[in-house]
Amino acid sequence: MTRFAWLQSRSQNLLAAAILAALAVLAAITGVHLSHLYNSLVAHCPRNQDCQLASEQFTAHYTFLQNSFTLIPRLVPALLGIFWGAPLFARELESGTFRLAWTQSVSRSRWLLTKLAIGALATVLAAGLLTIIITWWSSDLERVDSSRYGLFDARNLVPVGYAVLAFALGALAGVVIRRTVPAMASSLAVFIFVRIAVQQWVRPHLMPTKTLTASLLGGKEFGFFSNNGGPVDLVARADGPRNSWVLSTHILNASGHTTTAAERTAFVHKYCAAIATPPPPGGPNSRAVRIADPSTIESCRNHAAQTFHLLVTYQPANHYWPLQLLETGLFTALALVAMAGCYWWVTRRAV
Amino acid sequence: MIEFHLDPGSGVATYLQLVQQVRQALRLGLLEPGDRLPTAQQVVAALAINPNTVLKAYRDLEREGLVRARPGLGTFVVGTLPRTDPTAQAKFRRSMASWLRTARDAGLGQDEIEAIYRTAMRDAFERGDEGVA
Amino acid sequence: MTNALETVAVGKRYGRRWALNDCTLSVPAGRVVGLVGPNGAGKTTLLHLAVGLLQPSAGSVEVLGERPGSGPEALARMGFLAQDSPAYARLTVAQHLQMGAWLNPRWDGEFAAQRVADLGLDTKQRAGTLSGGQRAQLALTLAVAKRPELLLLDEPVASLDPLARREFLQTLMEVVAAHGVTVVLSSHLITDLERVCDYLVVLDNGQVALTGDVEDLLASHHLLTGPRRDSDAMPSGMTVVEESHVERQSTMLVRADGPILDPTWTVTPVTLDDLVLAYMRQARDSSTASRRSLAVAQ
Repeated sequence: MTRFAWLQSRSQNLLAAAILAALAVLAAITGVHLSHLYNSLVAHCPRNQDCQLASEQFTAHYTFLQNSFTLIPRLVPALLGIFWGAPLFARELESGTFRLAWTQSVSRSRWLLTKLAIGALATVLAAGLLTIIITWWSSDLERVDSSRYGLFDARNLVPVGYAVLAFALGALAGVVIRRTVPAMASSLAVFIFVRIAVQQWVRPHLMPTKTLTASLLGGKEFGFFSNNGGPVDLVARADGPRNSWVLSTHILNASGHTTTAAERTAFVHKYCAAIATPPPPGGPNSRAVRIADPSTIESCRNHAAQTFHLLVTYQPANHYWPLQLLETGLFTALALVAMAGCYWWVTRRAV
Repeated sequence: MIEFHLDPGSGVATYLQLVQQVRQALRLGLLEPGDRLPTAQQVVAALAINPNTVLKAYRDLEREGLVRARPGLGTFVVGTLPRTDPTAQAKFRRSMASWLRTARDAGLGQDEIEAIYRTAMRDAFERGDEGVA
Repeated sequence: MTNALETVAVGKRYGRRWALNDCTLSVPAGRVVGLVGPNGAGKTTLLHLAVGLLQPSAGSVEVLGERPGSGPEALARMGFLAQDSPAYARLTVAQHLQMGAWLNPRWDGEFAAQRVADLGLDTKQRAGTLSGGQRAQLALTLAVAKRPELLLLDEPVASLDPLARREFLQTLMEVVAAHGVTVVLSSHLITDLERVCDYLVVLDNGQVALTGDVEDLLASHHLLTGPRRDSDAMPSGMTVVEESHVERQSTMLVRADGPILDPTWTVTPVTLDDLVLAYMRQARDSSTASRRSLAVAQ
């Protein structure tokens, strides 16, 4: 059965291998060049002062590939999984060939498990190779860029986890719905939901977060903001440590409690009278207001910095790999549940 | 060797048709003692009939002493049938004509005579003379 | 000898509808069995139950003494040809044979290769481009090369032209002659099966209308025409299957154990086709009558 399952998926596997080979060649040529650029432009730059310029020069190369290699690992593994998973059983059920397969001398469960195993293996290999190639290619670029978490879902391990879950969901949809195209559509929809849900609600909490406090003045942004002529609010954001993932920034008052918007507006009215009245919406100054005397703003800001401070919640750099492993593990576990569902549906239910 | 054919609309059982064709071939000298009959496999491959039908026909012929099955070798013709004798035929034709005259004088029409004839033929050759109506 | 197929009050339900209801059959081994009935009678359902593609909702099915599909060994003993001969459109003929070799322990590769060559099939041709007759022959080759004890074929000749149909039956009978397999093949036309079947099972509306050895059935049933009389006046040992009367004439299809001795009857043999239709009509009438009596009783 193993050989037959391979035979059935042979042409799609060979196509994927050919595409990956072409990609590998492209990545090898351009990646080696990138590596040379890194060594010549950036590697020695801490010694002199034009690090910023050198970095910018470096990252300006191959922008098309950079963008592609951001998008591809976000789309392709999932699509690959769906396109390989959904027809796995749906096509046999749709075309009636299952009546040929289930009357050979192989038990139904062996048929199902072998097809799932070969398909999952092929998916892992294809997604894995794709991710390895792209991760290797962009490794120098990421040394320069400090937002490593920004490409969390497009590098290293998690794309493989996504591909496996997409595959398993496709297979399960195929078994239940018994038609290829509806199975593809529905499993894609479920997959997208899971992906978004995990990214928004689960990933930030997979590992315990850390916090740091910072002064309003030392942050990335500090200003005043009015939404369409509404009450003026204080706005401030801060960076976390290098290569960390900032989850949230809160403005706390002196007693350590999160301030409410009302509290902050009251402060502005009390201590920053000059700007307490917002410009009318849609008027000539509605984007940015020029203040005649900058010193009034200065005292207002200093006062704010004494009254309030920032609390930054973040995942530090050294949580990157544990988070990768945990998220990949989560998706793999969900994939195994979906595959168990396939097994139960086909072997227990009378078809 | 003999080649069989089938007349599905004749109302005669298939195995009987095979038996009759062998007998006819013997009578006409197309088959002689020592000739091998086609195997059941060959017959059904040509006619698409049930092999048991062929086996039954061959068993009947064996019972009549006309053929013998040699395991592993095939079924061979061992007997003969008298060639059709014109004098004997003429005698039977005369007695039939006299019967026909009697029947027509009794008022039977052609269709009725044919019906009686068919029933008698069937009873005689299919059931061996039992249950003649 | 174990029966090839044995069912005891078997039934299969889809929602509220019973596709098969209370069917009891004992089909002997070593025969070519015709499974006849109109479309929707339950032939496909019965065959799918016999090969383990379906589980019964009621009653039991036994094939060659075992529960169908109870494991690879049970699956190896039977060969199945599903309706419309499904095949993997993108795999070649040779790859289908390769599948057979990989998935069946008793695979006879030489026979399969020889058969494919005799049929004139191109081994490199994809199954999706074969004609209906060629696909049926390929599917038959796959089923037979497994060396099963029982072959089950679901309407194998329904969509074939007369030449392909004849060639298919020739091949099938050759296999039966050479290997002694029991065959069950279904059709909604008795004329397709008359040449080859020696045992008959008639299904109508999910129920068994008639089963028996073809020779016995033809020998024991007669069409009687004669002067008008009541069917109750018939001697014992004779069952009236169907009767019709006009002013002065009665026609009856009877089942009799012995010869017909009453000279007032004109006896004609019954064709298999008429026999099957008469029993199907009888089955329908009795089920309508019981439904009507149920309605009246309420």
